[in-house]
Amino acid sequence: MLTGLLLLLAVVAASPARAERLVTDLSDNMIDINARFSGTDLMVFGAIDMDIPQDDGGHGVVVEGMDYDMIVVVTSDPKDMMIRRKERISGIWVNKGMEELSGVPGYYALGTTRHLDDLLAPAVRKQYQIGLDNISLPLSQGLDAEEREGYRAGFIRNMKAKGLYKEEFGNINMREGILFWARMYFPANMPVGDYKTTVYLVRQGDIVLSRTTGLHVDKVGLERMIYNFAQQSPAAYGLVAILVALVAGWLGGFLSRKVS
Amino acid sequence: MQIYLPIAELSINIFVLLAMGGGVGFLSGMFGVGGGFLMTPLLIFAGVPPAVAVASEANQITAASVSGALAHAQRGGVDYKMGFVLIVGGAFGSYAGAWFFAVLTESGQVDLMISIAYVIFLGGIGSLMFVESVITIIRRRRGDKPKPGRRPRTWVDALPFKMRFRKSKMYISVLLPLVIGALVGAMAALMGVGGGFIMIPAMVYLLNMPINVVIGTSLFQITFVTAGVTFLHSVNTQTVDMMLALILLIGAVVGAQIGVRVGAKLKGEQLRILLAVLVLAVCAKMGVDLVVQPDELFAVFPAAEGDVH
Repeated sequence: MLTGLLLLLAVVAASPARAERLVTDLSDNMIDINARFSGTDLMVFGAIDMDIPQDDGGHGVVVEGMDYDMIVVVTSDPKDMMIRRKERISGIWVNKGMEELSGVPGYYALGTTRHLDDLLAPAVRKQYQIGLDNISLPLSQGLDAEEREGYRAGFIRNMKAKGLYKEEFGNINMREGILFWARMYFPANMPVGDYKTTVYLVRQGDIVLSRTTGLHVDKVGLERMIYNFAQQSPAAYGLVAILVALVAGWLGGFLSRKVS
Repeated sequence: MQIYLPIAELSINIFVLLAMGGGVGFLSGMFGVGGGFLMTPLLIFAGVPPAVAVASEANQITAASVSGALAHAQRGGVDYKMGFVLIVGGAFGSYAGAWFFAVLTESGQVDLMISIAYVIFLGGIGSLMFVESVITIIRRRRGDKPKPGRRPRTWVDALPFKMRFRKSKMYISVLLPLVIGALVGAMAALMGVGGGFIMIPAMVYLLNMPINVVIGTSLFQITFVTAGVTFLHSVNTQTVDMMLALILLIGAVVGAQIGVRVGAKLKGEQLRILLAVLVLAVCAKMGVDLVVQPDELFAVFPAAEGDVH
């Protein structure tokens, strides 16, 4: 905690003196999940401004000769999730263990200019929860180290398999040390809610600056209507589902008798 | 073309769904079975969460059975009084089934229950069907006459609470139809099947109902019971995906039409052997999945899913 605070202070203290500025944006700040949705790409892009005039808050000196790296992290709102473990009981694989995880990202994607190990020290990665290994999972205290690791790895594997967690190294493109862009993919099963896209500017193993952009993901149109209806008024939804089935079934039968 | 299913929360190719609906519809048209017992496992193999597959399939069966029920009703092929008794039984069975389904969803065992129920029922029905059709074929080759229809008097006639069913020309205890109705209702709630493959033999062999009202009455009961199941799952677990049910239905309506025509050209016993083999294959796949060590021992769910309130 203390080191975290010191690091944060260091970042805050360091940035005005060097006077870089980071400008970031997304190609879209909304993702609409409709019936045709099968995943989408968004472009995270921006520029590093290294020459900020004095009257604009900088010291008027061009910051040069430094190698910058970037990290992009996209996360969804924290969600409550559950992980179950199967065990063999008299020959059959049965769900046995269970862990409830409250407040974990339902979506986590990371992009970088280079391999993460070459960019940031492990402590910094942990502090900012950068990288799949550093996402904190609130597992029960009662678990032993081996069980913890099992659940942790199992959770990450599952989320990776669903395409909801991913790390991609070297997918951020930089042009002339100023302009950068990365294409981030969002799968069809992405959770709805508010997302954060944070771009970190890294220099010599430290995070110099970060900028966060919001992203809103929601089901729209019929998808949203059906989902909300099912969740908010389940009894009415059930009745409508029955009515739709009765009408569709009757109509289908009627049409097929006409045809034959 | 991908389509996003709002309740299943996954994107799936619409043509795959139509083909599944069509294929199962084709088989149900050809064999005269409902097809729920094939559709639910297929949906699960396709990646639909088992709970959503069961609940949405109940919804689809409502649609699939209503037009048949109406057609039989017009021809006078429904014993309403018997249908009503079966529905009362079905209401109890499906209520208990849906409650149990919600409890199992909460404790994380619903997928296991669905698989085990399928292995038992598909294994049982498939084996019976296979043996029966083989015997029929052997008898036919030998030139034996099939046995006459009605059963002799048995313990069924000794049960109390007798009721007269005019349409079926029967005077029997209501206990047995209530139990059959309840069993089918529970199966509809737990497995996403109409239960015709249990109910029709039970009506013919146990209740001794006349053949001309069996199918109509069965469809009548199935329409009501699966409608009830749709409602209960909507309320308890929010697992009914209307979109999924509708797409499957479109495929099934078309498939059934073709199936009926193809089926008319084939021999009954050979058809039944084919169906038996198919049923046993699905059963085997589900059974193997239960005992072989899965590649992934851990599974992640949203915590809110299936909370029983």
